[in-house]
Amino acid sequence: METSIISATYTWAQFIPEFTLVGLASLILLADCFLPKLPKSCYALLAAVGAVATAFFMDSEVSLGQFRMLAVIATALTVLLAYDYRQVICASISGDDSEEGSTELYALPLIACAGICALTQAKDIIMLFVSLEVVTLSSYVLAGYFRRNQGSIEAGVKYLILGAMSTGLLVFGSAWYYGMTGSFMLNADVVTNVFFGTEPALSVGFMMAMALLLAGAFFKTGTAPMHIWIPDVYQGAPTPVSAFLAVASKTAGFAVLCMLLFPFAELQVTPIMQCLVILTAITLLIGNLGAIGQTNAKRLLGYSSIAQAGFIMVFLINSTGEVAQTQVANYLTAYLLSTMAAFYAIAMVRTQRGSEELSAFRALGKTNPVIAFLITVAFASLAGVPLTYGFIVKFDSFCALVNAYSVWSSSCWLTTLLVIMVIGATAGFYYYFKVIREMYWEKPQAELKPLNVPMVTAGVMAGCVILLIALGTWPLLTGNM
Amino acid sequence: MTPLAHYLILSGILFSIGLAGVLIRKNIIVVFMCLEMMLSAANISLVAFSRAQGTEGVPVYDPQVLSLFVVAVAAAEVAIGLALIVAMFRARKSVESTAITTLKD
Repeated sequence: METSIISATYTWAQFIPEFTLVGLASLILLADCFLPKLPKSCYALLAAVGAVATAFFMDSEVSLGQFRMLAVIATALTVLLAYDYRQVICASISGDDSEEGSTELYALPLIACAGICALTQAKDIIMLFVSLEVVTLSSYVLAGYFRRNQGSIEAGVKYLILGAMSTGLLVFGSAWYYGMTGSFMLNADVVTNVFFGTEPALSVGFMMAMALLLAGAFFKTGTAPMHIWIPDVYQGAPTPVSAFLAVASKTAGFAVLCMLLFPFAELQVTPIMQCLVILTAITLLIGNLGAIGQTNAKRLLGYSSIAQAGFIMVFLINSTGEVAQTQVANYLTAYLLSTMAAFYAIAMVRTQRGSEELSAFRALGKTNPVIAFLITVAFASLAGVPLTYGFIVKFDSFCALVNAYSVWSSSCWLTTLLVIMVIGATAGFYYYFKVIREMYWEKPQAELKPLNVPMVTAGVMAGCVILLIALGTWPLLTGNM
Repeated sequence: MTPLAHYLILSGILFSIGLAGVLIRKNIIVVFMCLEMMLSAANISLVAFSRAQGTEGVPVYDPQVLSLFVVAVAAAEVAIGLALIVAMFRARKSVESTAITTLKD
């Protein structure tokens, strides 16, 4: 009887984008087998075009529709990044210029993206678990993709062990969620029945279930205490994969978090909110203070991603309703635009200067002034400099915390968090501007040749930066913040 | 009939042993076995709850469906995991977690 209820909540038609993405990925893999003459890099373009096309016939009005859109765009950008990065990809896989074995790197992000799209439509835990695992399993393969490269293998193994542990927590949490509620559905009625029903003992077990489920979601978002994998995996994984994990996988995590917390929007369950405040504070501290000493650009972005996750979590402390979901999606949009531009820059510098250290960015201001400007805007937006979209969303995050004062009785928790947010935002200015300082102020050790900028990289970076500035100045012009 | 609590205690013990193993053991293959144990422990809970929620000896099948999905996911995870561990052994000549030290602060 209950089984029929679960399957009745979905229709085949709503999963057409997912079927398209998986179909395209299978097509690419088959073509790789049967058309050996075709250059592999054209699959990357095909995958990117396919992903963008899928975005067009998706309905963004539905709940969490924005997250779905973000995931698809992030996937398209990831695959395009892999296209521009193919020189390094080929050298790392086969040790020479042959393109053999690079197709999966273009196909797997599509499958992971289908997982994220299905995830945003989940209404019950079974769907949520299966689609989340589709994302996770593809990410394991992607992270360890350069199997001759010590760093990539290490990233793959670390991601696998910690990811599988978070899966274990998620499944155990699901079992207890079912045991305490008698249903896998994620909605307010189920939660209300447990908290205000006839059996008060159930709410204790339910709290444990929620803690385990949230731990599973925190692994994806990079919230403390499940953040340990982030710096290592971002540094070791191939750059397009790091970009995918940073943006698409984090979007998936926040979609899960929104779904799990949504039923609590009206209930004001204090213990959960208090836990969120504490974890947000720890996340902000670890991310921002950890980033200060970094010299590797990808590792720096790893810590930055932890720090940004902290700022996003603040929205969910205030409320977990529809408004908070939109705010989270807006923050993720700003994060997507600036982080993607940063990863494109890292990939380009790595391809031509052979290093991912911050010192490789040296003197870009002299040799490539335009690219240096684009990188400056991307990092300034991550730091939250006014006139970029990054400032608007970070400002929103502070506003959300201030609004939370009206709901909360104990304001000292919030004040502590506010202080930590200010410390975090200030530290952000220091470590994001390290890159900018390298480009304009540091003297190059040797004569550096100007980078020769690939077309796709130039287009994507310029597009991201124009959007960041446009979205950042628009509210000032129209006057409604 | 065995009461629900017995199954839950068994599953809790298995889960704790698995989690402790993941955190303590150094050999990655042993860690991997502990991860599988965590998933199996969750499956025991799922099936136990499925029985307990049922009426007149007929279980509710939702949790059993999830447990089947868990088995499938665990199998896929093993396939990927062992491939990564083999690649790691080729690169490092070791499967100890103390040997993976390239990436650190």
